[in-house]
Amino acid sequence: MSDAGNGNGEWLPPAERRQQQLERLQIVCNRAYKNVPFYRNRFQAAALSPQDIGSLEDVRRLPFTERRHFGEHYPYGLFAVPLRDIVRIHTAPGIGGSLAVSGYTARDLKMWKEMVARALRAAGVSVDDILQIVLHPGLANWGRDYKDGAEALQAGVIPLNALHLSKQIMVLRDYKTSVLITTPTSAVQIQELLFSSDINPNELSLKTLILVGEPASQELRRRIEEQLHVRTWQHYGLSEVPGPAVAYECEGHDGLHVSEDHFLVEVLDPITLEPVPEGESGELVLTSLTIQAFPLIRFRTGDRVRVLAEGCPCGRTLRRLEWLPDRVDDLLVIQGVKIDKDQVAVRVAQTLGFAPRKLSVHLVRQGGYKALEVQLGMEENLFSDEIKELERLVRKTAFELRQEFGVPVEVRLLEGPSVEAAFP
Amino acid sequence: MLIVRNLRAGYGRIEALHGVSLSVRHGEIVAIVGANGAGKSTLLRAVAGLIVPWQGEVLFEERSLAGTKPPAIVAAGIGLVPEGRWLFPPMSVLDNLRLGAYLRLRRGEKEAVREDLERVFELFPILAERRKQPAGSLSGGEQQMLAIARALMSRPKMLLLDEPSTGLAPLLVEKIFETIVQLNGEGITFLLVEQNARAALAVASRGYVLETGRMVLQGKAGDLLEDQEVKRAYLGKDYREFAEGRAR
Repeated sequence: MSDAGNGNGEWLPPAERRQQQLERLQIVCNRAYKNVPFYRNRFQAAALSPQDIGSLEDVRRLPFTERRHFGEHYPYGLFAVPLRDIVRIHTAPGIGGSLAVSGYTARDLKMWKEMVARALRAAGVSVDDILQIVLHPGLANWGRDYKDGAEALQAGVIPLNALHLSKQIMVLRDYKTSVLITTPTSAVQIQELLFSSDINPNELSLKTLILVGEPASQELRRRIEEQLHVRTWQHYGLSEVPGPAVAYECEGHDGLHVSEDHFLVEVLDPITLEPVPEGESGELVLTSLTIQAFPLIRFRTGDRVRVLAEGCPCGRTLRRLEWLPDRVDDLLVIQGVKIDKDQVAVRVAQTLGFAPRKLSVHLVRQGGYKALEVQLGMEENLFSDEIKELERLVRKTAFELRQEFGVPVEVRLLEGPSVEAAFP
Repeated sequence: MLIVRNLRAGYGRIEALHGVSLSVRHGEIVAIVGANGAGKSTLLRAVAGLIVPWQGEVLFEERSLAGTKPPAIVAAGIGLVPEGRWLFPPMSVLDNLRLGAYLRLRRGEKEAVREDLERVFELFPILAERRKQPAGSLSGGEQQMLAIARALMSRPKMLLLDEPSTGLAPLLVEKIFETIVQLNGEGITFLLVEQNARAALAVASRGYVLETGRMVLQGKAGDLLEDQEVKRAYLGKDYREFAEGRAR
């Protein structure tokens, strides 16, 4: 019995793909309109009803969904099913001071499991592998999804844990990990730790490194591959909602195949918001096609991608994208965790009890590490004649920010004029 | 094999289907489940050409069926087993079956039709036993078998079944669905609409849920059977059972 429609849709012929996407898009619109006031209002504001979506191109008549909407409809406002049907509620640091909540039905979890499993399969992961997941706490939901997907392939899984990297490399060596899922930043750190601990890559069973969370340059990948004797694969995912492995590399390592059976892809010029032609770059905009609990219609990812030519030697008919390092929005990405500068400012203000007049937020590199750097301009409110008190404030601010975002944080006090006024 | 896009159809001024899309691949059994009045029968009638769609496309084996009259649709390979069977009660079982091959008999395929009659009687021995009886004297289950058998007489590539389980005892429902699986194994593709979601999804490969003229769910039949929404709305589980015990 043909089951291509809902089983593995990686190889669907283009005409069938379009029909399947249209059917699913219409269902998503019907459900969002019926069950989510936010989406219904937006349809109505655009003088549209779901039946006006008669082609894939018609999706462009609908307004975008942005990260800020998650906060505005916190916590359950964007759920499209009754709470009773939700079996997992996931929280991620949101933007603008709130949390990003997403829910999953049992079917959603099954869908993610299958999607992650096939992305891992494309990287050659099988029952013969021991797969270790080393991710930042901010990407804990990916940790769960990767665990589920790898278990579906019957690989042995070492799930996300709270061990320090220095212990992770012991696990890596002693448990004979063959597949490691981590961010490019952590991969570099692990590599440095291995060398500084005098662990020869030949002692490791590691052969596959799956890089997630942030784009990795070819140069970085080549260096890691040579030094660790591994092959690297990239996966692209959404960190707040709803999961990892939305796009993944095949054995050709030439761009990432997007799961078009589960997502409708648009790549738009960030200024004109028109689709860009093949070979050009633009913002990736995704519409979920199969998600039940937390549908996304035209979600602006802020990620910049380049559209690659159709057709891949691997035979998958899923469109390929190159994931580019620069973003379309001004979020900072540290170890795959997306950080909104405004939210940093809000948190700093909460900690200090007042909004500093001079504050700027940067991404800095400390060796192989990326960290969040907050520069505070000296001002009267901050001033204390006791150095100790100042130090305490700096430490407290850094602590609170680390708590909030789960990434390394540096807070520096500077003379007023040298700090740009980034926050009004 | 069958592709439907943005189908809108209705009766008088009442629109029953508000832009429905679906597809059936060769060799599949696809079930459309939904409550009474969801538009399921309208959908099948529009595909079979019994009503003219207001808008949208229906493609069968890549050819548009727009403007195609029902006899030509039957000739193209689509058979319909309508709800309520629509047999000719005073006529014998045999004559009802011959009517199913009407187009072919007119083309002079007499010998082939005779062979098909034998095949149908093999499939439904009870019909062979009762071939001389008036169709109206058969039991509900036998009448449903006769309706399917009659549709088979046109040698369809695809059968559209409208509520095949209506009015049948559970044991007979099982028998009818077993027959569907058997015919599917012999190469016939099925699109069936059913209120009895459990029975339909149990034999289907894929399913769609139609709600007040709109598609609201799709997926592998097995996934739909496990779906909380489907369970609640179509598998007879009490809604309160779900609402209780959690924050409302």
